[in-house]
Amino acid sequence: MALTGRTALLAALGTLVVGLLLPSWAGIGLVTGTVLLAAVIDLALAAPVRSLRLGRGGDTTVRLGEPASVELTVTNPSGRPLRARIRDAWAPSAWRPGTAEAASRHTLLVPGGERRRAVTVLTPTRRGDHHARRVTVRSLGPLGLAGRQGSHVLPWTVRALPPFASRKHLPSRLARLRELDGRTSVLTRGQGTEFDSLREYLPGDDVRSIDWRASARRNTVAVRTWRPERDRHILIVLDTGRTSAGRVGDAPRLDAALDAALLLTALATRAGDRVDLLAHDARKRVAVAGSSASEILPAFTNAMASLEPALHETDMRSLVSTALKMAPHRSLIVLLTGLDAAPVEDGLRPLLPLLTKRHEVVLASVADPHLDALAAGRGTLEAVYGAAAAEQTRADRRATAERLTRHGVTVLDAAPTQLAPALADTYLALKAAGRL
Amino acid sequence: MTGTTPAPPAPRSPADAGPTSPPPAGPSPGPAGTTATNPAGTATTSLALTGRGLWRRARWYLVVLAVLLIGATAVAAIGQDRRYPPLDPRSYDRDGAHAVLALLEHQGLKTDLTTDPTGHPTGADTLVLPEPDLLSPAELRAVAAARHSRLVLIAPGPAALSALAPGIRSSEEDGGPPYASVRSTAAQCSLTEAVRAGTAGIGGMLYTNGSRGEGCYPRGHGYPLVSTPAVGGDVIVLGTGAFLHNEELAKDGNAALALGLLGSQPHLTWHLPDYTAPLAQGTRDKTFGDYVPDGWRWAGYQLAVAAVLTALWRGRRLGPVISENLPVVVRAAETTEGRARLYRRAKARGRAAEALRRATAHRLAPALGVPLQAGEPDPDTLCAAVADRLPEQPAGDVRALLFGPPPTDDAALLRLADDLDALERQVRNP
Repeated sequence: MALTGRTALLAALGTLVVGLLLPSWAGIGLVTGTVLLAAVIDLALAAPVRSLRLGRGGDTTVRLGEPASVELTVTNPSGRPLRARIRDAWAPSAWRPGTAEAASRHTLLVPGGERRRAVTVLTPTRRGDHHARRVTVRSLGPLGLAGRQGSHVLPWTVRALPPFASRKHLPSRLARLRELDGRTSVLTRGQGTEFDSLREYLPGDDVRSIDWRASARRNTVAVRTWRPERDRHILIVLDTGRTSAGRVGDAPRLDAALDAALLLTALATRAGDRVDLLAHDARKRVAVAGSSASEILPAFTNAMASLEPALHETDMRSLVSTALKMAPHRSLIVLLTGLDAAPVEDGLRPLLPLLTKRHEVVLASVADPHLDALAAGRGTLEAVYGAAAAEQTRADRRATAERLTRHGVTVLDAAPTQLAPALADTYLALKAAGRL
Repeated sequence: MTGTTPAPPAPRSPADAGPTSPPPAGPSPGPAGTTATNPAGTATTSLALTGRGLWRRARWYLVVLAVLLIGATAVAAIGQDRRYPPLDPRSYDRDGAHAVLALLEHQGLKTDLTTDPTGHPTGADTLVLPEPDLLSPAELRAVAAARHSRLVLIAPGPAALSALAPGIRSSEEDGGPPYASVRSTAAQCSLTEAVRAGTAGIGGMLYTNGSRGEGCYPRGHGYPLVSTPAVGGDVIVLGTGAFLHNEELAKDGNAALALGLLGSQPHLTWHLPDYTAPLAQGTRDKTFGDYVPDGWRWAGYQLAVAAVLTALWRGRRLGPVISENLPVVVRAAETTEGRARLYRRAKARGRAAEALRRATAHRLAPALGVPLQAGEPDPDTLCAAVADRLPEQPAGDVRALLFGPPPTDDAALLRLADDLDALERQVRNP
């Protein structure tokens, strides 16, 4: 049961009748009674809401920041036409702030026995699963004075996947990968172990790679070219503990780490390597292993969609043992975690030998550009103390990175937008150096 | 965003008629934009309550409502607590006057409470008027004509004074202050009752004593108690009735004064003023409502009905508010900012300067080609390299700047930060 503005307007116009013609209780009773009677008749003539048949269709996954369309089909089994105001309610983060009101409301006219479709366009602002809450229908009567109102529950889930904003870096890195592969005319000699082909010696080539036997067969000096190994194993380990919850800019560190992991996955898959994923904090959150090259990116984005930073300390011992179980042979282990001194010193460093003994380890961490702004502060006492604190933090991170490097770990510390290309470059460099 | 496209009236196939279900949550075949359909099923999805559900939801509210109603009725039935106005002889409150009436009755006086002060006395009597201003001019004339042996007026206004106590005026009309606070005052007059009572807590309105009257308890230019002879007896004008209150009666000579003033005659009549009586005509200004035609007042009522309907219209939401669990927002730089505040509060200039110097040295070393040892450049090598790059800069100054003692005050710290910046700029662009 709901009234409309028309009812109130009618009652307000009734003021003239009461004021000019019937200034008494009887006049008020007459006017109000007429208005209410009309509303009740209207209510009785409105199409019932309870017996409506509702259905859903549309997108189930969407990349964060892009719109997703979810259809709502309304079937009106009654003989009366349905004049409906419909609200398709989702959680507030399913829309950009301020647009939820307009995007969730629909006005439909469904003649008796027919069905109509309304399209709700979602633009999620948060990664993860967005669930439809309830559909509220207000069915107005023919006079538009009053309406019946009721709710239906139609479950539907739209999964907002990580935006993978760094995919714009993919073409340039793929080009560099092809150069490594010796497929283009610019031949960069790799240090890998797989023999590729013979070609003519050019000044600058390493004389150790001259193939004397082949040179003897032709008139020129021939060198062997190598191409980078293929089919290496890469394990990306995401630390989703409390250090990943810190906000850098608008997004938590975890989002930048996911972006970097996706770019690396896309690149390494094209390079012919196998990539597995592990997300871990106090316990294992997500593990994706053994996906084929064609379905690896969808599998990863899907697994990453519902990852949220946990607000407790990461259990490094458990993380390392799980990672070792997932990487039984020599692998490149990419650890996306923080560079804060305490968790690294106490948790990770004692366990590093276990990882570096068999594997190549890269540790990538999201740096905070706000620290640079803070460190540049001058002029006031507050700014200078801020600069000193920022410099101290940076020195601590540097010292931690230094100690990790001494263990044979490649350390990356880059701003959120820089981390993904930096990680891809590191991967390419390791591949070119034949260290996988 | 409302796309209202008529959907084709699809024939109902058995597969079509399944209950609505959520889409599969597992991995989907594409990275983005996966689509599924779930057309209208036959199972009801409505949340509308059935009669039993409505009763189940409402019963506790109904029980609470019933308990409240019963409780309110019981309290209303038990607590027959009547409130009396101040100076009411039936009131046991602090500002009531039951105590003084009880004392007078104990002394053998015949007391009477009346709502009509115009009655004629049968013999020697006292009439107490707690609110003489509430009497109409006709009633005042009747009281004046009734020839009471004693008339006690409490805080009378000009109309009551001129009718009942001619010759006595408000002190304000003589240029004195109209009021005085109630406090202990000495009698300072020859009125028997006042002399016997001694000091009394009196004050309130002040009056002049006129030509024949006797003023007691003088306060400034006026008297809070004036006794003046009248036809058939005397009139006592009191500035306040506070000393008659139950709470005040035991203080000073209040009780003696009250018994003296009210108990001089064998019969006492106490007027109970009618507080609901309208003020005398002519004193009230016409309000806005008096100028509005009668019909429009009814129109106003109708407008109120429209307002209620508007409230019902606007108050009905299209479904409930949707809540959502949001992640905690922790800014990554929070600890660093906290450290900066700690430095500042502890005045840790040495630590701050050390951090800034180390950072500058760390940035200068690669620019000058000085190798790092355990993450830090060697001081001597670094100073020598700076001296090489900037020959005009005294070597001692550079060493003091980069590796000198900590600054002694805030100004020195600020200067140090600027000097380090300047040095770095010069090294990069000599």
